[in-house]
Amino acid sequence: MSGPARSGGERNYSGDREAGIVDLHKQPRPIEPVAPDAVPVMEAISISKAFGPTTALVEVSLKAYAGRILALLGDNGAGKSTLIKILAGVFRPDGGELRFRGETIAFADPAEARRLGIATVFQDLAVCELLSITRNVVLGREPLKGFGPFRWFDLKRAEAMTRAAFEGLGVRWERGLDERGLNISGGERQSLAIARAMFFGSSLLILDEPTSALAVRQASRVLDHIAFARDQGQAVMLITHNFRHALSVADDITVLAQGRVAAHFRRDQIELEQLTELVARVA
Amino acid sequence: MPEPAKSTSAAAPSWIVIFGEAARRFLLRPEATALAAVVVLFAVFSILSPALFPTKLTYISVMSVAAELGIVSIGVTLLMIGGHFDLSVGSVLGLTSYIVVALMRDHGVPPILAAPAAIIGGALLGALNGVVVVRFKIHSFVVTLGSMLIWRGVLISLTGGFPMMVSISPAFRGIMAGPFLSGFRMSMLWFFAIAIAGTFLQQRTRFGNWVQAAGQNPQAARNLGVPVGRIAIALFALAGALAAVAGVIQVARFSSVDALRGEGMALQAVAVTVIGGTLLTGGYGSVIGTVLGAITFAMIQVGLVLVGAPGHFFQTLTGLIVVGAVILNTDVAGRMLRSRPLRGFHRSSEAADAAILAAAARRESRDVEEADPQGRIGAADRGERAKP
Repeated sequence: MSGPARSGGERNYSGDREAGIVDLHKQPRPIEPVAPDAVPVMEAISISKAFGPTTALVEVSLKAYAGRILALLGDNGAGKSTLIKILAGVFRPDGGELRFRGETIAFADPAEARRLGIATVFQDLAVCELLSITRNVVLGREPLKGFGPFRWFDLKRAEAMTRAAFEGLGVRWERGLDERGLNISGGERQSLAIARAMFFGSSLLILDEPTSALAVRQASRVLDHIAFARDQGQAVMLITHNFRHALSVADDITVLAQGRVAAHFRRDQIELEQLTELVARVA
Repeated sequence: MPEPAKSTSAAAPSWIVIFGEAARRFLLRPEATALAAVVVLFAVFSILSPALFPTKLTYISVMSVAAELGIVSIGVTLLMIGGHFDLSVGSVLGLTSYIVVALMRDHGVPPILAAPAAIIGGALLGALNGVVVVRFKIHSFVVTLGSMLIWRGVLISLTGGFPMMVSISPAFRGIMAGPFLSGFRMSMLWFFAIAIAGTFLQQRTRFGNWVQAAGQNPQAARNLGVPVGRIAIALFALAGALAAVAGVIQVARFSSVDALRGEGMALQAVAVTVIGGTLLTGGYGSVIGTVLGAITFAMIQVGLVLVGAPGHFFQTLTGLIVVGAVILNTDVAGRMLRSRPLRGFHRSSEAADAAILAAAARRESRDVEEADPQGRIGAADRGERAKP
């Protein structure tokens, strides 16, 4: 049945699956120190967390500002994922304080964090593979039409929103929006998740290892998109164990080791060799 | 999206490519296998039993079997798309049938109240499954295997193992299962109405989108704020309610309930759902496919009797079709899902839509041009039709 489909010609895509995304613009940006009167979007003050006898975090403090990328570096078991789960409202800290735009908060559940616009993008959880691109982008925020209890999914508006979401990331989605999630590459999935988070008004974008499973080109594409999000005024926390990736886009770098903040500095205050050595020493 | 014109009009794809792309899109539909099964079985039975099979009486009886099984299967399908199983629908069907009969016979409740009461009862029994699955994080297969046995035991003890008769008013029978236009049963009408509602629910509502997402990647869905647990409970309630609807239809048809009512129906519903193209792993499926699956199932049942095949053929043939359908659906459909639009369509589905429509329009306008040599009608038409 698929005979003519197969032999009708070569499959119509090049080896570079990233070709589906075209950058409309991008620009480099110098690092500036944080303005003295700037209020961090999210501030963690002396956060501690233990799971039974296992200490995960000890008095960790950090600040994420709008328009800046904070890279969180650390080896496996350094406490990175515990920290982001606390910021996303999944865990509650044993000690310490969270401040959102200067006000103390305690998340009862992840939904509360989401309502404040804290969007977490996990490596494997960016897309549902059998849903179309459009349905993936609007998932959880589907536009409806109709009235009262008779409201249904507005597919046209969902497609317009999807396009707008990609444009908000400075890219154009060149392929069909009804293409299914399993047909897009790992890099595109991360980009989709970032576009989605920004479009729906995230205040803090937390990216959990967005580049770790990607090929070099895809990774640099995703990093471009992260930088673009930052340039739009987005507060970004980039969790990674790749120093190179952290150095290429981050404004600030915090190194976690064994549940503690081992070091914190601005990106232009350190070189790759120093960073590698530092992490190797503290881990 | 940029104008698709660049990729379509610049190099109009050949007929083979257009045909191939149309075929690819058809095969992308989950219903493709079930539709093929219906067509093939219809042809085979019509050849084997030309005098008996392709007759109205057969269609009526096929649709009657398909309707009751199909209504149960639609609930099972939506649940399976949401990532869960319900093996208890047969027992729920039996128990809710008992509720209808007991309310009407022993308490004098009119059917207009007894039927909704049974459907609400079915929804509650279903929701109970859902709560246990969600709350205790036990696989639905095990939970509903348990509730299947529990409700069956309750039904046997309530009926004492004997059939319970009830007098059914002609009006009630007429509405639920009686003949309407040209002899088809009302149950077919209910079946189609529920199928349309189910398709709309799955394809065109927020709930439907959440169901698909929860079935594929519950963690991702939860991460985006989809209430995965509540969706599961709602789906279990829906499956229970639809089983009860089928139970009410059967009570209206048979004027009775017995201890074995609905026995074996759950696995039949799973078979129907799988033939209909819904993935056992969840997240993907079609209510229309389930309608075709139910018709396939009913056609085998009725057709084998008509061609005089021995009784055990039914199970064997059904089994073969289920396995064949799963192979087709997981293997072929899996490949098709990964396939990309053919060359000339530039990976843009809108361009492909436009090209297919334009090809259809060209063909129509060619017919017009033969009658209208100046091409006035055709030319004016073409530009319009190329755009959907």
